[in-house]
Amino acid sequence: MTIPVGIEAMNVFGGMAYLDVRELCDHRGLDLPRFENLLMQEKAVALPYEDPITFAVNAAKPIVDRLSEDERGRIEMIITCTESGIDFGKSISTYVQKHLDLPSNCRLFELKQACYSGTAGLQMAVNFVLSQTSPGAKALVIATDISRFALADAAAIQEWAYSEPTSGAGAVAMLVSDQPHVFRLDQGAYGNHAFEVMDTCRPGLDTEAGDADLSLMAYLDCCTAAFEDYSRRVENADFQTTFDQLCFHTPFGGMVKGAHRQLMRKLYKAKPDAIAEDFDRRLAPSLSYGKRVGNTAGGSVFVALAGTIDSVAPHEPIRVGLFSYGSGCCSEFFSGVVTQEGAERLRAMRIPDQLDRRYRLSIAEYENLLSGGAAIRFGTKESVLDHGIIPGAFPENGDGTRLVLERIEGYHRKYIWI
Amino acid sequence: MDANKIAEIIIAEIRETVPELAGQTITEADSMADLGVDSIERSEVILAVMEQLGLKIPMVQLHGPRNIGELADLLHAKSAG
Repeated sequence: MTIPVGIEAMNVFGGMAYLDVRELCDHRGLDLPRFENLLMQEKAVALPYEDPITFAVNAAKPIVDRLSEDERGRIEMIITCTESGIDFGKSISTYVQKHLDLPSNCRLFELKQACYSGTAGLQMAVNFVLSQTSPGAKALVIATDISRFALADAAAIQEWAYSEPTSGAGAVAMLVSDQPHVFRLDQGAYGNHAFEVMDTCRPGLDTEAGDADLSLMAYLDCCTAAFEDYSRRVENADFQTTFDQLCFHTPFGGMVKGAHRQLMRKLYKAKPDAIAEDFDRRLAPSLSYGKRVGNTAGGSVFVALAGTIDSVAPHEPIRVGLFSYGSGCCSEFFSGVVTQEGAERLRAMRIPDQLDRRYRLSIAEYENLLSGGAAIRFGTKESVLDHGIIPGAFPENGDGTRLVLERIEGYHRKYIWI
Repeated sequence: MDANKIAEIIIAEIRETVPELAGQTITEADSMADLGVDSIERSEVILAVMEQLGLKIPMVQLHGPRNIGELADLLHAKSAG
C-alpha cells in the first residue's frame, strides 16, 4: 500500500517591515528601465529585533495553533533549513521547539545547503514519514533566511549592485505528514543535479560573496539537467504538458523568466510569443509573494508554491513542478498535486493580509538600519534590543502572537511575544 | 570556424538580444557588461551562440572571459576540443 505524503499545512511569514524596491533603485541611481527585468516590487527588511528564529517561529505559529493537542504531540521532528544560522553548533530548531511548546521527544536539527536547504529538509521529512519508523508522525520543516546589509562605506553600495534590491527575508513553515492536504508529493518523481562551483558563498560570519554570471550559468545548467534526471525517472514526463503550474527558486523574477525561456528554447525550440504566453500562464502566479519579500533563499521555492496555490486557487487537482537550486551547488526538480481543499487550507493562513500589515520603511529609516550598530551580529554575547528604533514598526497593541527578540544574555537569545 | 567568425556571431547575437544597442560600435575588446547587457541577457547571448555552434557543454565552462574576444577564443577552443 502506498502511503500518501507531503505538506499537510503551510504558511509564509514575510517579516514586519518592507522597502519599496523601485524607491530604493531610484535612490541608488540604478537604471530603472532595465531594472524592470528583475520583476520585483518590495523586499522584506528584517528589523534589528527580528532574526531567523523569530521569522521561523512566526511562520510556524499559525500552523501549530490550529492543531489539536494530539496532533501537536505527533510532531516528532523539527528541521530548520537556513544559511542564516545563529551559531555554529546550536540550531535554530531548539528555539523553535521552545517557543512553540512542541514535544520533548522530538528530533531537532538544522540543514545547510544554500538555497537548496528547504528542499533538502522537505525530502528528509518526507522520507521520515515514508519510512514508517513512527507511523502517523509529523515533521515540522521551516526554511528561514534573512539578509542584512551593513553600510561600511560608500563603495559597499556599488559592490552590492543588484543584490541589495533583490535580497529579502522570509520564512516558510511546512508540516509534513501522511495527510498531505496542501501538497501531495509525487513519490519517486524527482531529479537531481549537483557539482562543485564557487558561484555564491558566505565566507565570513556576516559577509556574502558571489559572481552573478557564474551563479546564473550554474542555475541554468542545473535547471536543464535536474529536469533531465526527472525525465529519466518519470516515464513520459514532458516539461510543457505534465505540469499545470511551475515554481522555481526565485532569486528574482527575471532569473526565473530566463531559466524558463532557456528550457522552452532548448526542449521545444519555442518562439518568443509562445514562451511569453507559457510564462504568464504557468510561472507568473509563482512570483506573487516572491516579488513582495525578495529572495528568501531556502524558502524561496516554497514562497513560490504558496504564491501559486493562492493565486491559481484551483477547483480541480493540478500538478505543480518545482525546481530548487542552491549555490555551491545542488538542485532538484520534483512535483506534486494541489487540490481545491489544499487551496482553501492555505487561504485560511491569510498570507496576503500579513504582508499588507507590514510597516513600510522610508529610505531614511532603511539607511538608518544599515548604518546603525543596532543589528545583532553573529556571535553576539550580550545585547538589549531597542524596540523603538523605528517608531511605528513595533506594534504597540499586539495580540501576543508575534515573537520578537528582546535581549541576549551570555549568547542565549531571549524573546517576547508582543 | 575561427575565433574571429565566432566573435562576429557573438556580436550579432548581442544586437539581436539587446536591440537598444543599434548604432553603437561593438568590438572584440568590449565586455558585454560594460555595453550594458544585463546578466540574464548575457546568458541568453551565450546560449544562442552555443546553439549556433552546436556546442553542448555546461554553461559554467564558459565562465571567465573578460571581453567578447576572450569569449570567442574560449568558444573556439571548446568547439575544437
